[in-house]
Amino acid sequence: MALKTEIKIAYGVVIYFLFVGILSYTVFSADSPETPIRVMYKSATGKVLFDHKTHSGDTGYGLACKDCHHHPMEDDTDYRACGQCHIPGKAESLPKSCLECHDADEIEDTEMLNSGDAFHGQCIGCHQEFGRGPVDCAECHVK
Amino acid sequence: MIDRKKLVVSHAPFWHNGSSVAERHYNILFAAVPAAALGCFRYGIPAIGVVSFSIAFAIIWEWVMNLATRQAPTIGDGSAALTGLLLAMLLPATSPWWLVVVGTFLAIVIGKQIFGGIGSNPVNMVALTIAILSLSWQGHLDFNEALVNYDFGFPMVYPLAQLKHFGTAAIGSFSYMDLLLGRQIGGIGAPFGLALIVGGIYLILRGFIRWEIVISFLAGIFVTAMVFYGANAEKFADPLFHLLTGYTLMGAIFLATDDSSSPVGFIPMLIYGAVGGFMTVLIRNIGIWVDGVVLAILIANIVSPLLDKIRPKVMGEVS
Repeated sequence: MALKTEIKIAYGVVIYFLFVGILSYTVFSADSPETPIRVMYKSATGKVLFDHKTHSGDTGYGLACKDCHHHPMEDDTDYRACGQCHIPGKAESLPKSCLECHDADEIEDTEMLNSGDAFHGQCIGCHQEFGRGPVDCAECHVK
Repeated sequence: MIDRKKLVVSHAPFWHNGSSVAERHYNILFAAVPAAALGCFRYGIPAIGVVSFSIAFAIIWEWVMNLATRQAPTIGDGSAALTGLLLAMLLPATSPWWLVVVGTFLAIVIGKQIFGGIGSNPVNMVALTIAILSLSWQGHLDFNEALVNYDFGFPMVYPLAQLKHFGTAAIGSFSYMDLLLGRQIGGIGAPFGLALIVGGIYLILRGFIRWEIVISFLAGIFVTAMVFYGANAEKFADPLFHLLTGYTLMGAIFLATDDSSSPVGFIPMLIYGAVGGFMTVLIRNIGIWVDGVVLAILIANIVSPLLDKIRPKVMGEVS
């Protein structure tokens, strides 16, 4: 008798948790924040965890968006992820994102730094300029 | 010559004390719920989704295997639900639904049912599952990567990953009190040290888990970490840090104490726990993995049958 009750409870538990689980994964699933908090960049030399909030927030280093997101210059609302223009491993190519606003012949200089060069220049350059922050490979890249 | 004394048992009538396998599992569930609830409270809906799916699918896989093997249904004994909850407590709150479904399949079908069901698993099924998932989908089990969208006002980096990748200089921002109170990232339930300890004490006092295993596992970690720390305090973290981070407390209280994969004798239990603790620190300090708890417990599980041969106790003996 007790066994049958336990099995009935188990059926109830399955139905309840399945229902809650489906709702959690679909209707109430959490969206990514509009402004990233941290970003995990992946590369062949290991992942890099970048703390976006600490760099950009008023309580952090207080960098302005345009200090890193240098394009588009005029529009303060449309900042793109770095990797949309600086495509991993593809230097000197013309990313599709450029052609959303520009004609191909309008762009004189089609050289675009690949993401590795762009990030290294941006991160290490800034860290060296301010004399703070990691500059060696293993201080950012982890396997 | 048979020692007849060993065959003597008390005579009838016997009185069933009311304990059952189900009661045991429900009590362990009860002890694990506070830490899981804190995790759900912290991470919100995504964590509730992982916990719900994990419990539901663990029971579903158990039921499917009951049907496939034409056995009487065992879904009511709480074993599958407990496995589901423990698995969820070790996963990040952002685990995708398919990872939970695959994880529960690994735990229930591969970890338990193909060996014959409850009491027959040679290794802890939750530890086995986390090990397989970590090998297969490293990114999803990387807490730094999985939890990039959360900010709770304490260092949002996985303490053991900081230690592994950047050395002891990078763990200075963690205080022991913060770590004990769960102010660290990790699995849904694993970081809440105090809640886990309270659950563990309850289970030990009620006799559902063996204190010998819990204490020797923690002592194994403490002593081994102390040796490393004593040898080079700049390179290796101190023992308390190892005790309060990663899966340590989950492993000591809920994984290593699994009945069928741990020894029964007093001395074997002490050695078993110590092997687990020793291997945990060894893997953390000189291995390639960030946390060594699940792999260490799997190794201890494999050693367990051999340990049971040390001064075995005769079953049914009346002292």
